[in-house]
Amino acid sequence: MGIEASNTQEAGFLTTSADKLVNWARTGSLWPMTFGLACCAVEMMQAGASRYDMDRFGVLFRPSPRQADVLIVAGTLTNKMAPALRKAYDQMAEPRWVISMGSCANGGGYYHYSYAVVRGCDRIIPVDIYIPGCPPTAEALLYGIIQLQNKIKRTNTLFRKVEA
Amino acid sequence: MGKTTSPMIEALQAELSTALSDKIQNSVIAFNELTIEVSATDLFDVAIKLRDTHGFDQLIDLCAVDYLSYGESEWDADVSGFSRGVKNKDDLFNFDAKSDDSTTSNVEDGRRYAVVIHLLSVQNNKRVRVKIYCDDNDVPMMDSVHSVWNVANWFEREAFDLFGIIFVNHPDLRRILTDYGFVGHPFRKDFPLIGQVEMRYDEELKRVVYEPVSIEPRVLVPRVIRASQGTKDVTEADD
Repeated sequence: MGIEASNTQEAGFLTTSADKLVNWARTGSLWPMTFGLACCAVEMMQAGASRYDMDRFGVLFRPSPRQADVLIVAGTLTNKMAPALRKAYDQMAEPRWVISMGSCANGGGYYHYSYAVVRGCDRIIPVDIYIPGCPPTAEALLYGIIQLQNKIKRTNTLFRKVEA
Repeated sequence: MGKTTSPMIEALQAELSTALSDKIQNSVIAFNELTIEVSATDLFDVAIKLRDTHGFDQLIDLCAVDYLSYGESEWDADVSGFSRGVKNKDDLFNFDAKSDDSTTSNVEDGRRYAVVIHLLSVQNNKRVRVKIYCDDNDVPMMDSVHSVWNVANWFEREAFDLFGIIFVNHPDLRRILTDYGFVGHPFRKDFPLIGQVEMRYDEELKRVVYEPVSIEPRVLVPRVIRASQGTKDVTEADD
């Protein structure tokens, strides 16, 4: 944050821009929605558990899309699941972000030639961060979340543009 | 195949052959387990008898088989060293010609679909495999065994969904795995792996829509690098 000279600090104040304050608040509490679809979900749980501890980044899993900021698509998205994924995404409040985790969510992966699998979850919802791997390690997911935080920090508008 | 047959299995084979002599078309001991073959019309009576007089009170599994391309390989087995139990061309099954000689081979008579039921008798510690060939290749049909073993309900729905086998008298024969409104039976050998349709979200309609599939089918040929070859290369490099 744009903290000015130390005399204000001694007086117990700090100054910053509204954008930076908002972005700081947003990056500090990215609440993902629990959307584990396959084996990637196990790595996601691993990242949430004590060893990697996503709570350190203010990342707390929420069971409801209405309370969530991020949707982590962790696993193979099938045709039958796709309408449900879109519904969950539509229920999330703005601003919202999507992390596509693993080969299957990125582009179908191992099941690219299957009759039952969506060849990439970006055919259904817009994606902000793609994490490669099959499955990505917990570190890779954490790295992806940090990349998303960096992306949010680069946002300069207070309100996200809504596509008409 | 079946080299280590135990006396227990042979006794079961003899027991069932005597009790169901008019119903059993074929009985083989394979993989240390007895397989009996019955016709689709006799199945229900055989199932009742197996449960009530022979103690097979548990149905372990019910699944279907499509023999359309049985024994054929999708890629040349010699190049990669990969095989799928490939047989000689002479042994391949001819599905166009229907012969009446069903005793020598199980599937040479042109019947494409079979249903296999695995049964367990807890009280006798015995297992048996029941195989039923469906007579009609266009509309494969057989009796439901749901009223004999309740667990068959969802197994039969699965076989219907994936292979299109019609189970007569099933209480609720709906698809169980594939998408709502799915067309076709994906485990049939003539169903293309990539399917007929693919899905995307339509911004204007505000919902996901199905479109004709846009990718080309491809046979995935694994490139096998043998461990022995790898070690050989390493030793040569060391020299």
